[in-house]
Amino acid sequence: MLNFGVLEVANSTVPAAPGWAYVPDVGANASMSALQPSRSKRMRAQIAASPHETTAKQDAKILRELTALDRENHRDVSIPVPVRHRDNAGRVSHGKVTPAVRKILQSQKTFANHLADYEALSVINSSLPPSNQPVVPSPATPSTPHPPSTSKRTHRKKDAGAGPAPTPLRRVSAASEAATPAPIKSEISHDTPMKDAPILSLNSTAEPPPHPEDNNPLLVSWIPQLPTQEEMEKLLAAPPLSYNDARGPWIPDDMRKPVRHFCDVCGYWGRVRCMRCGGRVCALECLGVHQEECFTRYGA
Amino acid sequence: MAPGHRRTKSSGPAPPARTLIIDNGAYTMKAGFSSPASTSAPSVIPNCMARDRERNVYIGSQLSKCKDFGEIVFRRPVEKGYLVNWEAEKEIWDHEFFEGKAPLRCDPRETGLILTEAPNALPQLQTNCDQMVFEEFGFASYLRCPAPVLNAYNDIQAMFKAPPRDPTKPLLPAEIILLIDSGYSHTTITPLIQGRPLQSAIRRLDVGGKLLTNHLTRLLSLRQYDMRNDTYLVNEIKEACCYVSKDFKADMEATWKGPKGDRREIYETAGGIAKDYILPDFHKRTKGEMRDHDPGLAGKLKQLQSGKAPEAAEDILTLRNERFTVPELLFNPSDIGMRQSGIAELVMDSLSALPFGLWPGFLANIIVVGGNANIDGFLWRLQVEIQALAPTECIVRVVRPADPVVSTWNGGAELAKDVDLLSSMSVTKQEYDEYGAAWVARKFGGDPNWKW
Ligand SMILES: [Zn+2]
Ligand SMILES: [Zn+2]
Repeated sequence: MLNFGVLEVANSTVPAAPGWAYVPDVGANASMSALQPSRSKRMRAQIAASPHETTAKQDAKILRELTALDRENHRDVSIPVPVRHRDNAGRVSHGKVTPAVRKILQSQKTFANHLADYEALSVINSSLPPSNQPVVPSPATPSTPHPPSTSKRTHRKKDAGAGPAPTPLRRVSAASEAATPAPIKSEISHDTPMKDAPILSLNSTAEPPPHPEDNNPLLVSWIPQLPTQEEMEKLLAAPPLSYNDARGPWIPDDMRKPVRHFCDVCGYWGRVRCMRCGGRVCALECLGVHQEECFTRYGA
Repeated sequence: MAPGHRRTKSSGPAPPARTLIIDNGAYTMKAGFSSPASTSAPSVIPNCMARDRERNVYIGSQLSKCKDFGEIVFRRPVEKGYLVNWEAEKEIWDHEFFEGKAPLRCDPRETGLILTEAPNALPQLQTNCDQMVFEEFGFASYLRCPAPVLNAYNDIQAMFKAPPRDPTKPLLPAEIILLIDSGYSHTTITPLIQGRPLQSAIRRLDVGGKLLTNHLTRLLSLRQYDMRNDTYLVNEIKEACCYVSKDFKADMEATWKGPKGDRREIYETAGGIAKDYILPDFHKRTKGEMRDHDPGLAGKLKQLQSGKAPEAAEDILTLRNERFTVPELLFNPSDIGMRQSGIAELVMDSLSALPFGLWPGFLANIIVVGGNANIDGFLWRLQVEIQALAPTECIVRVVRPADPVVSTWNGGAELAKDVDLLSSMSVTKQEYDEYGAAWVARKFGGDPNWKW
């Protein structure tokens, strides 16, 4: 086969460079790193194992495209708040503007700015000794730790020591009718778990209401061990993850799969790579179309 | 956030008579009132300021007066799913809730507020919300909570075709659901036990409606017309035409034109996949329209355009693989080079943070809300992919509520009908004035290790 300045890549593996090639020329752009973050601990561990090594040039192109896909408008625009609302004529008065509100209203920070602030503060916070943690005042009313003893708990568990009984799965889906009010912590760390009221009412002895799936043998075939009350309390008390840590990972199984490429021209599988720009096309016909464009953009 | 137990209120002001629920999304906010006496349907309000090519500026619901969406540009206070710009948001809220002719006018001093946020919000942005709500607007009481949480107050069993709940019994949040919220900015996965999120298992996929629309814009602009200044139109095209493929490879083959000089017969109609979208011209046609692909039409269009003024002809886009490669990004983000797994894998990644004993309950109670839940084929594909990844013993059930866009709001409206439950979860203006912003952040379940 003649080589028309293209490289067949259908079955070839891209030569691997060790580690993840982060793109140096755009690394400082906060909105880009929010799209392809490199800082999260979970992410970093996986990136090291990635077989999809790409060149810095390819990474830069992907980041450029992802940044474009994140835009609100194709061009930069500024739509100021209409002037008539800046004076008091016709404006709703919510009373005196407090300093905090003035600061918030004047702020033109973007999400990326706020995220950068958060990350900087997190570093400072994590270096502080734990004793610096401020004591939060605990007003009497909202933090009452226990439900009133008159609470209508209809299915109080008799034996607190017994582990949760295995339950047919259908109760998972049909149990809310029989659910008991759980001991709810209205504030983290200010109350003690109630030993006698299970968080999950799956072991309730009351019959759940009839359900069309009651006789489905599949639904009773597998009986899982439910977590203990203690485990549940711990799970429910866990603080939120940070924005970056909540970002879903690229799981190792997916990283091992071949990346799918598409033709830039028609969208079919991109089996052929343009040597000039790295773009993908499906076959010679689309390559012709692509190369016209490629010549005008990059020169012959 | 933690729903409090029912308590008897012996002191403090009586709870406000009605509650304004704002599900403050990046694309639209869903807003309306609820009280034990009555709940009306929510208004779906564009959460933006917009400017058309005549330089008219529209605020929020005013956008419905716009007749020409060509080249319209937007400013959105909610960025990446989070309320970032209060200057613009206050302008929109004033217009919708507080001004003399506001469509949902209320006096905040006599109104409670439920305001949603995306999970894993930044503490500073949360505090900005709290300060604006009490110091600027002065709401009588306030609950800020992650949007997925409110869905637990809907009648979940009815969605799964079980007997509906007994309206005479006190409101209890759904015992166990896995809530997937796929909106404009991103897609989040939140396991909820009795309305309480299991924070360590919340996962976010950075694929949402905006990215899908922008991706479709790019494809259409490369292949047909330059639509880059018409993302509003492209969004409508996406909503009308896109679907999640049941068999990606087969659909890809069906839409392939074949090698040069050997056009495949199936190509023109692509087995029904090829569709024409008639673009609005904003004179005779204000709304676009999808039709089955007419192979003769493209040729006719050329003739028309060569002989007559361009506006005499209809502008037609023909969509083939664009219809399914765009929503495919929810399942395969790596198709555009993103280093993230798709939604089904992230559901399993979320579960992997939880005890195995909870998996069957979550897998059997998956609920999808948000605008992307309306994409054809989304639920089917999600169910199939999760089933393939889940332990074989587990039943996987994926459902969406009747209207996935307002589901979160509806849950908030249900919650607002239970005055005692809501006030146990809310903060009053009095409490805010007395204990301050940091206390409010704690009450709403903020990170206890965060230090200002
Ligand atoms: Zn091609
Ligand atoms: Zn090229």
